[in-house]
Amino acid sequence: MRIGKEFTKGVIAENPLFVQVLGTCPALAVTTSVNNALGMGVAFTAVLVCSNLVISILRKAVPSDIRIPSYIVVIASFVTMIEMIMNAFSPALYSALGIFIPLIVVNCVILGRAEAFAGKNAALPSIADGLGMGLGYTLAIVAVSSIREILGAGTFFGYHILGSSYEPILIMILPAGAFITMGFLFAGMNIINRRQAAKKEVM
Amino acid sequence: MNQKVFKLTAFLLIVCGVSAFLIAYINDITIDRIAAQNAQALQEGYTEVYPEASEYSETEYTGSDAAITDVVSAKKDGQEVGVIYTVAPGGYGGAVLTLVGFDIETQKITGIKVLKQSETPGLGGNCTQPWFAARFAGKSAAQPLKAVKTETSSDQEVQAITAATITSTAVVTGINAAQADFAANYANR
Repeated sequence: MRIGKEFTKGVIAENPLFVQVLGTCPALAVTTSVNNALGMGVAFTAVLVCSNLVISILRKAVPSDIRIPSYIVVIASFVTMIEMIMNAFSPALYSALGIFIPLIVVNCVILGRAEAFAGKNAALPSIADGLGMGLGYTLAIVAVSSIREILGAGTFFGYHILGSSYEPILIMILPAGAFITMGFLFAGMNIINRRQAAKKEVM
Repeated sequence: MNQKVFKLTAFLLIVCGVSAFLIAYINDITIDRIAAQNAQALQEGYTEVYPEASEYSETEYTGSDAAITDVVSAKKDGQEVGVIYTVAPGGYGGAVLTLVGFDIETQKITGIKVLKQSETPGLGGNCTQPWFAARFAGKSAAQPLKAVKTETSSDQEVQAITAATITSTAVVTGINAAQADFAANYANR
């Protein structure tokens, strides 16, 4: 029961991008197309689950004074190894996801979950937490990229959906468009969360 | 206090040592496969920009243009029929590694392929798309090309990628470096 809850909390209630506002830098960079966002989401989830697992196993051995450098070494080593293994054994997957892997090291959601969850919990809940946070992050960047790709290129998943007469709003796929889209989505998320909080108070 | 510092240092040293050992080990078992895969990707690139040939052999590049990194001669039945240049012009986010194939008989570009690039995804990153490569195929190798923002009006012009003029110009610059060398060394005699 508890494990199920660890999984679902990352999707909406504690969504890493919209609620915790973590990992915004890669979210700005890769959301130019839904395809890229999905690739990043999958690679990110894989790394997060692995790093959560290892850190939760090591959590009792790591002295708290130097936990952050230890976590960073573990995460960076993981990313490097996953990149090399993927490149060697699955070139098709590597050509699709390879460019996102180095970006994952700088994704603070990974360190954030290591610090906030995996460093304090057992292996199984940590895996559930990693999967949930990964799913929540993937959904969030897919949402941002859908808006940007549809408005900025007139396509969705690479398919033209708005017809040839549609003149793409180029700014949407430029970095500025990422800030604009995320600003509106954050605002929308805040409205929803505030209404829900108000409802709880009334009750 | 001193004892604690020593303990922490030792722990970090162990963590780093184990990580470094694991990475070195993984690197050791993957390095050959990665090299083989890169070589295979290069071969596939050669076939893509010059499909007619049956054999590709590296020749020495004697020119001085820094943009050209490799010259490969494409052979069919032992006869040199085409030349493939590897060029690496500077784009918006780094070098744009591009293969350009030329046909000796027709003196035309047979095809181009961007192998490696770090341009903006969705904008300059579109230079790897087949529709951009198609804009170069069949162009004459006699004169340098030019990137234009509008529809092309002559054979020397290539339409740039929308909102990615720097990337388009970079690819064209690289191709022109190859074109100049090709015109100097492989022109019809």
